[in-house]
Amino acid sequence: MRKLGLIIKREYLTRIKTKGFIIGTILVPLIGLAFCLLIIFLVNHKPTHSMRLVIVDNSGQLAQPITQGLDAKLENGQPEFNIVETNVRPASPDVVQQDLRARINAEKIDAYLWIPRDPKDSFELHMRNPDNFSLIGPLSGAVDQAVISARLSERGVHLDDIKSILRGTDLKLMKISETGEAEEKGQSIGIAVALVVLLYTALLMYGIITMRSVLEEKTTRTMEVLISAVRPFELLCGKILGVAAAAFTQFAVWMISTALLFTYGALAAMGMGGTAMSGVHVPISLVLYATIFFIGGYFLYSSMFAAIGAACSNEQDAQQLQWIAMAPLVFCMVIYSMVLNDPTSTASVVLSEIPFFAPVLMALRISLQTPPAWQIVLSLFLLLVTTVVTIWASAKIYRVGILMYGKRPSLVEMFRWLRYS
Amino acid sequence: MDAITLENVTKSYDAVTAVSDISLHVRRAAILGLLGPNGAGKTTTIRMIMNILVPDEGSIQVLGQPVSDNTRDLIGYLPEERGLYPRMKVREIIIFLAALHGLTEAEADRRAREWLEKLDLAEWSEKKLIDLSKGMQQKVQFITAVIHKPPLVILDEPFSGLDPVNAATVEEIMIDMRANGSTIVLSTHRMEQVERMCDSICLIDKGHKLLDGELRAIKQSYGKNTLHIEFTGSDAFLKNPAIISLTRLGNGVEAKLKPGADPQEILKAAVQENVSVIRFELLEPSLNEIFIDRTSRA
Repeated sequence: MRKLGLIIKREYLTRIKTKGFIIGTILVPLIGLAFCLLIIFLVNHKPTHSMRLVIVDNSGQLAQPITQGLDAKLENGQPEFNIVETNVRPASPDVVQQDLRARINAEKIDAYLWIPRDPKDSFELHMRNPDNFSLIGPLSGAVDQAVISARLSERGVHLDDIKSILRGTDLKLMKISETGEAEEKGQSIGIAVALVVLLYTALLMYGIITMRSVLEEKTTRTMEVLISAVRPFELLCGKILGVAAAAFTQFAVWMISTALLFTYGALAAMGMGGTAMSGVHVPISLVLYATIFFIGGYFLYSSMFAAIGAACSNEQDAQQLQWIAMAPLVFCMVIYSMVLNDPTSTASVVLSEIPFFAPVLMALRISLQTPPAWQIVLSLFLLLVTTVVTIWASAKIYRVGILMYGKRPSLVEMFRWLRYS
Repeated sequence: MDAITLENVTKSYDAVTAVSDISLHVRRAAILGLLGPNGAGKTTTIRMIMNILVPDEGSIQVLGQPVSDNTRDLIGYLPEERGLYPRMKVREIIIFLAALHGLTEAEADRRAREWLEKLDLAEWSEKKLIDLSKGMQQKVQFITAVIHKPPLVILDEPFSGLDPVNAATVEEIMIDMRANGSTIVLSTHRMEQVERMCDSICLIDKGHKLLDGELRAIKQSYGKNTLHIEFTGSDAFLKNPAIISLTRLGNGVEAKLKPGADPQEILKAAVQENVSVIRFELLEPSLNEIFIDRTSRA
């Protein structure tokens, strides 16, 4: 046990001291934070100056209703739009346009709105920097409203009547569970997909790290020196647990920073006036189940990746063999939307009981709708048995493989290694 | 009690028999030269003593105990396929391996500093292994094999990559260890080193033991049948029916004589042909010659 502790400690310390780990651990949340701050900035960034606007009305009817629609105020109390002048039906449009262009270039005005003779043609907004979205929105709305209102008036209908007729109803989705009802705003699906991606990425990423770590001991010829001091099985376990410890450290950092980000995210959402982020809460039971299935899956896949690392002598060979361990995980990613759509179908139930898929698919099912207890217990039991068998087989392959150099063994050869004493 | 006892040990990989029915007794406080051509089965034998491989048949004892995971800590091992974590610091890696062999980290640290001083590596102790020259890495490897003061040390080609000064230092340390009661198994192709250091040898080839015993006794059993001649001039006198085989050395020849041949006849022939003889000595065969003789005969 003391030796196992030493191996875990070395593996853990060397791993968390690498530049890649430090950068990955800190940079990922920082990038997330930067994105969040950028969104908050963009959402909250409101112009502080009115847009100085000239309206050229070739139709002779729309300038007034549009001007009425542009009555909103900026935060500092100034109007959003400052209608510098309204030019109705100019005699020589080309001259007017030339003059307006010159005024824009001289920064006397910011933009001019060109209303066509026939409202079916395009309206044009001319400005120096056509990227001031926060003002283009309201302007476009005012134009639409004025045109639609005019069309409705021709048919003798009032705009407000249409608005009240067309007002949508509010369909609330209610999710029923043992603890009662809660309003469903799509967060279950969101959590489920996030969970699948998280489990898939973590199992794959740390599996490959374990494989590389074993391979490194072979390529640097450290292996035989090590097994003169410890049993290969201790080395294998120490390696898997050491990488696991590093993985959990990284995850803890990410989770804590994500929690912080969510607080910022909620602030951003409030800034938008919406409630997109509120109401997302992950049930503790799901966290618990996901953790259990993740740990099982972690040992299952890490030991497979470790055996592959032990069987190969170089990176290229390992890349060719790693599909054996990757295939079931990739399959989960291909099939998960089917389970998402119908978590109680026979196919979903059967797939989620298969140990190689259970860590991802059973966790997914639990997040959507708690399956019957026997299904969870059976799937956990099968996962446990398979994990133990896989670790045993991996240890065998590992024990033989770590001393083999040269040609990459075939699968048949690796199976034969299982019988070596 | 022997340091190592092998009783009828056999090990096969699929169709290949790597070690076939080898028995061997290595006495304590001695240096054994484990010799044999490439692929003879030396590494397999050593790995079985280390309990890295398990023999198909036969039994192995180390210091009176059957080999097990517990006997590993009694042995210091410098494998042929060796290397250390390239990105770890020299002192850290020595402490790590010493701790794996059962030392407390404080004790491991103390001894690591001592050894680094002794082998002229003190100023490199905080450097990464990858920054060291091959010879320096080799010395670090040697330290990791002996730092836990094991009663049995197995060294596979310990001198490879070492310059003559460092090789002499390592040789001296090995002689010291023997004086302090350690047993050393030395596997090497450098026969002159074996001849200088080893008390006994075991020669294996193609998995079979060809020869083992005290080095002196083995050489004596061959008798004084080898002439070492250094000379300048024509070598025509060497075309003599009394000479069975001839090995040309840098400064002369080593000539194996027919049983019962008179060396004086050869000296006479040399003098008659006006060859200037610098050295003319009748000796036991060199270990190199015994090695070639036995392995080519098998």
